[in-house]
Amino acid sequence: MEKKKSGVNRRAFLKSGLVATGAIALAGTGAFVLDRATSGTRLRPDFLRPPGAIDEETFIYGCIKCGLCVQICPVQAIKLAKAGKGLAFGTPYIDPREQACDFSCDALQCVETCPTAVLNFKPFKDAGLAAVEQAAAEAGDDFTSVNPFEVQKVAMKQIVRMGKAHVNRDSCLAYKGEGFKGVSRGTNFKGIYRAPDTQDASASPLADKEFDREICDLCITECPIGETAIVQELDRNGRLVPRVLDGCTGCGVCVMICPTHETSIIVEPF
Amino acid sequence: MLKDYFSTGKNKEPLPPKSKDQLPHSIQGISYVEWRDAKKKNHKWRNIRWSVLLFMNLLFVFSYSFDLSILEGSLSGSRLIGFYLMDPFNALQLLAISSITGYVGMLTMNFWIGLITILIFWFIFGGRGYCSWMCPYHFLSEWAEKLHIYLVKKKKIRERSFNIGLKIIFFIGFLLLAVLTKNLVFEDLNMVGIVSKAMIYGPSLLLLWVVAMLLFEAFVSRRFWCRYVCPIGTTWSFVGKLSPLAIKFEHDKCGYCLECQKVCLVPHELWFVQRGKATQDVHFVGPDCTRCGLCVDVCPGDALTFAIKGASALV
Repeated sequence: MEKKKSGVNRRAFLKSGLVATGAIALAGTGAFVLDRATSGTRLRPDFLRPPGAIDEETFIYGCIKCGLCVQICPVQAIKLAKAGKGLAFGTPYIDPREQACDFSCDALQCVETCPTAVLNFKPFKDAGLAAVEQAAAEAGDDFTSVNPFEVQKVAMKQIVRMGKAHVNRDSCLAYKGEGFKGVSRGTNFKGIYRAPDTQDASASPLADKEFDREICDLCITECPIGETAIVQELDRNGRLVPRVLDGCTGCGVCVMICPTHETSIIVEPF
Repeated sequence: MLKDYFSTGKNKEPLPPKSKDQLPHSIQGISYVEWRDAKKKNHKWRNIRWSVLLFMNLLFVFSYSFDLSILEGSLSGSRLIGFYLMDPFNALQLLAISSITGYVGMLTMNFWIGLITILIFWFIFGGRGYCSWMCPYHFLSEWAEKLHIYLVKKKKIRERSFNIGLKIIFFIGFLLLAVLTKNLVFEDLNMVGIVSKAMIYGPSLLLLWVVAMLLFEAFVSRRFWCRYVCPIGTTWSFVGKLSPLAIKFEHDKCGYCLECQKVCLVPHELWFVQRGKATQDVHFVGPDCTRCGLCVDVCPGDALTFAIKGASALV
């Protein structure tokens, strides 16, 4: 009697085991397809990973998809990828055309908050400390004039590399010799940023700001990094046009602000 | 003593079953049915538990939507007033992959503190207590279970149960899958994470998967995901094996009515309530128990209670 019972149990267990193995095999196949669809390929050129993101292959398994970076971002630039975004499901990304990273959190809170270091804070921390030390050394006896927080946050945001901006010469207003007057993305646009010429601590709506430029230079004047990232210069045809330099962090503020119907400047992720 | 702490007593010789005169209803001098149905409408622990569960999950939602900064993140990984908390199976998958690729050294101190804190917390509060007191899918699944029980009672469907060892296969399988594909595969199927994130960040297509599983549980196999699949629950059951907070069973108060097994998520852990099965006067419910308290609510003889394992040895 006892023997027969265990025989039944064994059969039930084998049956259950078969069900489980099948289910896992199915999940595995799904994961393989997902893996093929996401990793290896580069990010879509219009999407960026948040600042400090490590290589994509490690990012995909290192990111636990908790969303802490999403929650801490004061301008809500970071979103979790839903199905069909061409990104590993649930991983964070920035769509700079909708809402760019403007560093108005005063440098890299999303990176600092990441528990698995797929947004890796260490290089920023090191750069910030090194800059403070250097500034203090340069100031010498006058070191009280150095604001360490200012120095640190500037140094930290300068080494961000989400990508690099590229100008589309066919549609860029400056290349056509045109200016821009008005609200750059329309009055219904939801995006916010902290303009370089403001003293405010927080970001304000782009829709509230009116521009009037003889030659369009919004990507240059509104860049949160400044002259190490993008400058205005005369090209061979004597036009004043934007030129992106190696100091570009790929934050995408220029992409968000570009007034042409389709953006004339894009950030290509590295 | 340590041996007693971990022993279930299952391999011992059973105690002789109580005679009719020794059963609680005879002692009280009432009919068996009257005794059995006395606590049918008692939902004390369930109501406390649902309140805690909803409060915690709404705290996640409100922390984000109203910028309260109390409980940030989601059930996959969070921060409670600045202290990190990690989902243990998520962490386990990540550790399995990253110890092979060498990424493990890059993980932050916050990650390790978060993982250890949550393990200690649920060690104190009973391992799979996470499931019934925190997991939002568990809450939804309880409603699917009500429908399932109704359909079985009306003989519309028949009960389909599987071997409980399935969950170990799934646990190992999902870990292997993570390592082989270098991807947190389970996180894309994870009911807890999907429901938690849908509440906090807005619904996604993956909610269809949750609905499909709820329908499967309602019409095919009762509590399929929680009982046989969820590796997060399995991870917590390992913690629950060590945990001192458990449901205590006292044989002398039991009337063999089996009402507790009928409401239980893991009835195999209540094996000792059947006539002639108990081997000790006092048993503690095993590691799969979610400390949900449904059995405590329903037990007419108060033979099942929340208790601290090993407390009597200490006093």
